[in-house]
Amino acid sequence: MSSLTTAPALSPSVPAVRSRRRDLGVWLYTIPVCAIFLVVFVAPLAWTAWTAMHETTYYQLGAFSGADSFVSLLSDADLPKQLGITLAFSLGALVIALPAGLLTALVLNDIKRFKRTVRSLFLLPWLMSQATVGTIWLWFLNPNFGPATAFTTSIGLGKTDVFSDPVIALVAVTLITAWWSYPQAMLLFLGALQTIPSELRESLRVDGGGIWHGFVNVTLPYIRNAIVSVVIVLLMLYVQMVTIILVTTRGGPLEGTTTLSMRVFNQTFLDFDLSGASATALLLFAVNIVLTLVAIRFRRKESL
Amino acid sequence: MTAVRTSRRTRRGIRTLRALPTWVIVVLSAVLVLPPIAWVLSTALKRDADTVAYPPRWIPDPLVLDQFAGLLTNTNVRFFLNSLVLATGSILLALVICVPAAYVATRFATRRMETLMTVILVLSMVPGVVVFIALYSMFVKTALMNTYPLLIVVYTAMISGQTILFLRNFIENIPLEIEEAAAIDGCTRRQILMKIVLPLIRPGIAAIAIFIFVFVWNDYLVGTVLATTEDMKTVQNGIVRYITTGFGNFWGLFSAFVIVAFAPVVAIFAAFQRWFIAGMTSGGVKG
Repeated sequence: MSSLTTAPALSPSVPAVRSRRRDLGVWLYTIPVCAIFLVVFVAPLAWTAWTAMHETTYYQLGAFSGADSFVSLLSDADLPKQLGITLAFSLGALVIALPAGLLTALVLNDIKRFKRTVRSLFLLPWLMSQATVGTIWLWFLNPNFGPATAFTTSIGLGKTDVFSDPVIALVAVTLITAWWSYPQAMLLFLGALQTIPSELRESLRVDGGGIWHGFVNVTLPYIRNAIVSVVIVLLMLYVQMVTIILVTTRGGPLEGTTTLSMRVFNQTFLDFDLSGASATALLLFAVNIVLTLVAIRFRRKESL
Repeated sequence: MTAVRTSRRTRRGIRTLRALPTWVIVVLSAVLVLPPIAWVLSTALKRDADTVAYPPRWIPDPLVLDQFAGLLTNTNVRFFLNSLVLATGSILLALVICVPAAYVATRFATRRMETLMTVILVLSMVPGVVVFIALYSMFVKTALMNTYPLLIVVYTAMISGQTILFLRNFIENIPLEIEEAAAIDGCTRRQILMKIVLPLIRPGIAAIAIFIFVFVWNDYLVGTVLATTEDMKTVQNGIVRYITTGFGNFWGLFSAFVIVAFAPVVAIFAAFQRWFIAGMTSGGVKG
């Protein structure tokens, strides 16, 4: 109790003494983070903009070319197709991962027995690296031997040659990405589901409401914000996805899986067109900024 | 008596019926999740000739561990050592730079500080492929290329936004009075951080360290773009190398490598499930 009585007496003087020093001293603590962010994020972004405004041969900067690489990016006949692929890939994976994540979260929230086992099962794909996921599906789906081909052959569909046709390859890559990423949606939903007061679910059970009824009237209002943030988190993940596509198709066949991110990668390491890659990278960055701003909006509201 | 018993039985029946959709989903997801993993496990335990047998056999016969013995090459060991060094270095560097930042961001949250933290968060959401490619062309001709410090700094930067966000939640939960009492007793800000805050947020540090380890261990892209020489590549590069440069029948070795590379993550997950999930859900945006 004594501390309570002395505190008011001290508090005006202590912060007053500290606050004058505080302004400068506090910022010292953020200098290391700022320095690393300058090197790894700010400088590369400036460098990307600078490179995009110059001609390049291999990794050598040439003459200043102004907005040329942006003009050639926007007039590139491949760009609409690649934007379409990015959109199909991102929305396709979202449409699968979102319900899968919600469904598994509802199951985990409801389950009493074997909870840890079921949770491990649901989380398993996400524990694996993207490189692992890409390559094990490559091995599982290979057309020459393996269970997938044996299965499709036995039901008369022929071999599972999914990575040789552009459209089927895109579908496969989308499905694999959804398969890997749905647990992330599940974890976010699980957090939101735990905010539902248990009395509410209890009273619903007493009143004899059905599962669907309970979901629409009790669960859904509580997770509405979570759904929005899951959508954004997943979209950001998909728009910048490189690894899974890189290890399975490298953007092929016939550029059928070349999303915007893969275009940046291939322009740099296959075409050695650094200037063009930088212009594409800035476009990707712009898409990302929009998603980030929306994300921050909801992060504040949700305090996620 | 009989009425009570039947009603109890029907109630149990209703409960089982209600649980039915739940278990249908569990079984369905097992069917969708497990086959490729089981197939890799099965392949890793087969003899070379059996890995490409058709029709495929799920149960290896005979069951051999030859593939795992075949993994012990100098390059493979180097991949694992590299990933271990990078993960450890990133954990240390991230904690050294993020704990002070998270502390002042929580305790001295002026508007300017909040702006800085928002900038850090926004920057850490920049697509990896954008910055890696710029970093590659910036550093390709310097001596820093293909060194641990560069890679560690890149990993640390990628994970810092999330680390600060996560640590702030823990620091917020420390009662302010403890720090005030220490300040009155004459502790400097650095002493408060080192002697009072740091010990109190130990669980948070453990959780985020686990998360950073798995993040670095599972990363493929940084190792691909910024480690150009064979001796600097990481575990994930090792996995993909079998597919891209392998010839002949490499599937047995590939599968064994996948199992060994996945083992540490599974072990960490099994041992620290709760912390692991806490780290994973801390506003995880980066893939």
